[in-house]
Amino acid sequence: MNIIVCVKRVPFTQEVDLEIEAGKREVDRESLAYVVNDWDNYAIEEAVRLKEQGEGTVTAITLGPEEDEEVLRRCLAMGADRARRIDPGERTLDGQGVARVLARGLAGIPFDLILCGVQAEDDNQGMVGIMMAEHLGLAHAVVVTGIEPQEGKLIVQCELEGGLDERSKIKLPALLTIQTGINEPRYVSIMGIKKAAKKPLEVIPLADLNLSPDDLAPQVLIEELFLPPETGGAEMITGDPAQAAEKILQILKEKGVRA
Amino acid sequence: MTVLHPAAERYLNIPGSLIAWILLILALSVFSFSLYRRVLLLLSGQPDPRWGDWKERVRGLLVYGILQKRQPRYFWAGLIHLLIFWGFVVLGLRSLDLIGQGLGGGYALPFLRGGFGVFYGSLKDLFELTVLGACIWAILRRAMIRPARYELENGRGHRWEAYLVLSLIGFLMLTDMFYEGGMLLLSPPAPGWLPAAGLAVSVLSSLDETGVSNVSLLAYWAHYLAFFIFLNFLPLAKHFHILTALPNIYFRKLKKGSLKPVRWGVENLEDLESLGVGRLEDFTWKHLLDLFTCTECGRCSDHCPAKAVGRPLSPKMITLKLRDYVYRKVPVFSLFPWRSDSGGSEGRKEKEGSEAALIGEVITFAEIWSCTTCGACEEECPVFIEYLDKLIDMRRHLIETAQNPKTFNPILTQVEKTGNPFGKPPKKRADWIKEIAEVPVRILKEGDEAEVLYFVDSYASYDPRVQAVALAVVRGLSLAEVDFGILGAREKDSGHQVRRLGEEGLFQLLLEENLEVLQSCRFNQIVTTDPHTFNTLKNDYPGDLPVVHYTQFFRDLLASGRLKPKKIIDGPPIYAYHDPCYLGRHNGIYEAPREILDRLPGVKWVEMARCRDRSFCCGGGDVNLWHEIEGETMRPAARRLEMAREAGVGGIVTACPFCLLNLEDAVKTAGLEKEMKVVDLMELLVSTL
Repeated sequence: MNIIVCVKRVPFTQEVDLEIEAGKREVDRESLAYVVNDWDNYAIEEAVRLKEQGEGTVTAITLGPEEDEEVLRRCLAMGADRARRIDPGERTLDGQGVARVLARGLAGIPFDLILCGVQAEDDNQGMVGIMMAEHLGLAHAVVVTGIEPQEGKLIVQCELEGGLDERSKIKLPALLTIQTGINEPRYVSIMGIKKAAKKPLEVIPLADLNLSPDDLAPQVLIEELFLPPETGGAEMITGDPAQAAEKILQILKEKGVRA
Repeated sequence: MTVLHPAAERYLNIPGSLIAWILLILALSVFSFSLYRRVLLLLSGQPDPRWGDWKERVRGLLVYGILQKRQPRYFWAGLIHLLIFWGFVVLGLRSLDLIGQGLGGGYALPFLRGGFGVFYGSLKDLFELTVLGACIWAILRRAMIRPARYELENGRGHRWEAYLVLSLIGFLMLTDMFYEGGMLLLSPPAPGWLPAAGLAVSVLSSLDETGVSNVSLLAYWAHYLAFFIFLNFLPLAKHFHILTALPNIYFRKLKKGSLKPVRWGVENLEDLESLGVGRLEDFTWKHLLDLFTCTECGRCSDHCPAKAVGRPLSPKMITLKLRDYVYRKVPVFSLFPWRSDSGGSEGRKEKEGSEAALIGEVITFAEIWSCTTCGACEEECPVFIEYLDKLIDMRRHLIETAQNPKTFNPILTQVEKTGNPFGKPPKKRADWIKEIAEVPVRILKEGDEAEVLYFVDSYASYDPRVQAVALAVVRGLSLAEVDFGILGAREKDSGHQVRRLGEEGLFQLLLEENLEVLQSCRFNQIVTTDPHTFNTLKNDYPGDLPVVHYTQFFRDLLASGRLKPKKIIDGPPIYAYHDPCYLGRHNGIYEAPREILDRLPGVKWVEMARCRDRSFCCGGGDVNLWHEIEGETMRPAARRLEMAREAGVGGIVTACPFCLLNLEDAVKTAGLEKEMKVVDLMELLVSTL
């Protein structure tokens, strides 16, 4: 089974006091560290595991500037066979633009399955995977927590609301968006990443994809980016441990976290 | 009846000396072959440069090899061994003499005939009795007291081998005694005092001449045979140490606290196919020599803190399982395989025909991660076997093959991305200085200069409890009017934990980045909060950095009078000082913290039973923080807390952030906050200023 995995490089924002740029449309990215999008990390791990079970290749693709190759190298170190970066040049793209570009950009790579993360940690829009599937005319399933390959198809387990899961059969070729927790991603050492430099990584400029300006024009414009106002809202649970435990259980039940 | 030397007699018309020669050649051939097979093993190992510093090595050989300085750490066993060892040294000449007599048909070695011969005769007799007595004592001790450290963890002791060898040595003594005693009875009395032979004489005097002659003959040939059987037994099991211990001590690791590079002589790690130890061939020749040299004494495991709290690690079993594995892979005799078997399923598996994986099956993951790198094992080992480098090499292999505990993943990623294990932003690394706005703390930028660079490191920078120690250090430096600065956001984690987890690539990255930053400033000394930082900057980083731990620096400030304690700390508690592993054992800094404590007015402190180089590790500052080992009955810090309570104290004072955190945690878990206070030495010091 040949698999393509779409990955995104996102800022590492843990404990960072994010600041909004003067224009109020962007986060101030100075002195931010960058990591692979968590959902995509699970996706690439899943792809490599599927490959290790049988035959085939794994290709990691991303859309972004040269710095984003770091994330592709990481995917190669985890077990991907090749990587491709589509360079957007000066263009800024919104979610639907990214979906169009990636769908066009993976041309030439044979695939049976495409894996995307459910969403990206920075904008959390969760749309690229599904839109890609639409552009490519692929059967698709989202928030996938389990994949069982069978002849020509997959059994997938998807997370629904309220603690329910759904199992379905899906014919290949297909696109899945992967939920965190589907597996435990392996560690990638620094030396591992350095060694992966030998694997092929190609760069394709956006212009080569022959998409029209209409195709690429953002359809969603950010008016303002702002930090949520600080409010109260923490509920202090009182009582002795047994009482407190009862109250907490009640709240969890109300919020649908547990049955 | 003429008295002939046994070698001068004829047996079935074959001269005794001919028999002696045949036996000699046979025995030496087999012995050479065995040695050759063992040397083959050594040659299959990786390079390991141990040829330099010969003066220090010779000194070590004398102190630890000949004078056996580490033996008396277990007093009675040490005494027994000393006696047997020096017996071997003295009696070596006698053995050569006896063999020489056999080969030459009865003539003693020339220089043993004169006055020296008389003196040596008495000396050797004295030692023969001593060795015989020591062997009997050793046998009785093993049989009756049964020290736990001699056991093999799977319950099968190699006691039979110990009894066999002790008996064999005793037998060698007895046969010589009876041979010589017999000859004394039959021929004119030899000059000098021969107490051992004299004993034999008193036993033999009840026999007639023929009887004495037969006993004497028999004793001689029995001795001759036993000697060569013993010699050939040596390479097969733990008594190989008789031959390899002195070389192993000579080639010992001189630079404590440091870790071996991934491969000696290889600068660029990318050139290596694999990192760490995954196969037999990945071990260095010295590490393989270690495996030959283990005496199964168990002193290492007796002091291992991981073992003491129920983790599956036993340093002795690591060495023995590895030894048995390499002996199985490259045996001496493949036709008649010597099963030096420490038991366990790997041996069984290989009998069944399948390969046991070196990492994962012979040595399990749990064992590899159990180690706290405290160094107690290496401190005890009388023959200087190295454990830490082997275990870290195995960790390197596990990290590179992604077989490490998953809990490490976010930590290592965070160290890589933000320069600290917490993942907190580098911008905030120096935020702690805001707590003491009244004390100005310079943050050194590129090109800046200061007398002292205070390398705070990650825990002191970000962890609230440890920040208190950093604040104390800064207060102390400021009160002593020391010109100091910190690196602030440019400082990255020193990499000590990262290296000892086995992520060598990440460690090298941190090292490069830190060195670049250090080189951008000028300073005369680096002072650290943490003994781990101190250890890695001093022993792992190149360039001979002028680094000291804060205990050394402040001891000097107190001694010179630049700092004068003013306030008296009155009343309870009495403190116990806990030696941190990376200050004490690894770097030999025992006195500086004690001198500080002695200078603090009103502070009463005591030693715990296990102190200095026998200090009990708190659990450590790496794996312990991020991974639970199955089978653990309690945290090492909890065990150490018990020891403090046994010492009858109400407080523990230490000089390491991880000891501080682990011990405080143990106190809280035990609900003993009111009974046991845990402080850092710097905090105590500052409270008197």
